[in-house]
Amino acid sequence: MVVGSICTLVWTSPAGVLSTMLGSAADAFSLALELCAVYAVWLGMLELVDASGLSQKLAKLLHPFIKKIFKIEDPETEKLIALNMSANMLGLGNASTPMGIAAMKRLDDGSGVATHAIIMLIVINSTSIQLLPSTVIGLRAAAGSLSAGDIILPTLLSTICTFALGISLVILFGKLRSKLAKRRAR
Amino acid sequence: MSAYFIPIIFISIFCYAKRKKVPTYDTFARGAKKAIPLVVDIFPYVATIMIAVALLRESGATAWLASLCSPIFNLLGIPSQLIELVLLRPFTGSGSYAILNDILLQFGADSYISRCACVILGCSETIFYVTALYTSKTNVKKLLYAIPIALICAVVGSILACLLCKIM
Repeated sequence: MVVGSICTLVWTSPAGVLSTMLGSAADAFSLALELCAVYAVWLGMLELVDASGLSQKLAKLLHPFIKKIFKIEDPETEKLIALNMSANMLGLGNASTPMGIAAMKRLDDGSGVATHAIIMLIVINSTSIQLLPSTVIGLRAAAGSLSAGDIILPTLLSTICTFALGISLVILFGKLRSKLAKRRAR
Repeated sequence: MSAYFIPIIFISIFCYAKRKKVPTYDTFARGAKKAIPLVVDIFPYVATIMIAVALLRESGATAWLASLCSPIFNLLGIPSQLIELVLLRPFTGSGSYAILNDILLQFGADSYISRCACVILGCSETIFYVTALYTSKTNVKKLLYAIPIALICAVVGSILACLLCKIM
């Protein structure tokens, strides 16, 4: 698609190709600088959250809920998933990934087909329940917003809705799947 | 009201950390230090996506795509200016921040379009990237209905985002 558009551009305005590319690369650089400032503030705060043990506390709160929806009997995996989810909620995306991958490895039964718990973990991680969309707020404030925080509430509401929808769909499909498997076994 | 949201959160985090006897200055600095390698990590992807998007836009490909998709987006209540963001979001995180920044600058940070874009970005994830990353260390080949469900959630999230921005 990109190659296609370069070709059209060469046809319509050959002089514009390089200047367009250079111009947007310069834009990318200034955006990176802006992001660096945003990250410095939020990563500093998040380090405080992490060091004061808030993420561990949240993980403990999530534990019973995880036990219920994942239907697994392995305390170590449950703990990893709880830490993965709590890090995601707090916006510690980088911290959540290693734990999520470790949990995945433990859930993998080697059959090559995703189990209920694996699908649940993927869907939960891709609906991303985030309590504070920190980068978005930061970019918005940097762009001159007068009330950068007024997107927090709508974001929270819609993220909770999609999170709930994702979990219920996984449970629903899981039930259908086990019903089909039973019918086939018969 | 919402202007107090972030300062209050910051102050409570600081107080909580103080009570737990965390060295706040050093810890904050340690976190802030991570910003530089993170930006260095994502810069190549931001640049690539931005160059590609600029070329697509300059050649008129996005306008064509937007006019193609706009009936669907209209039906769902999503402004057609957000088509690029909604379509690219499942693939790239840093790239979608680049598009968000574009929208913020073009329409103004407090416009309806910008608020929709912020909420859409805040309530969604890079589905394909996350899935590839998480399954990369396992033997899982068949994901069955995982991706469709994640995509349905993303679409519903985008519709909700535009709806909520209208009333809130």
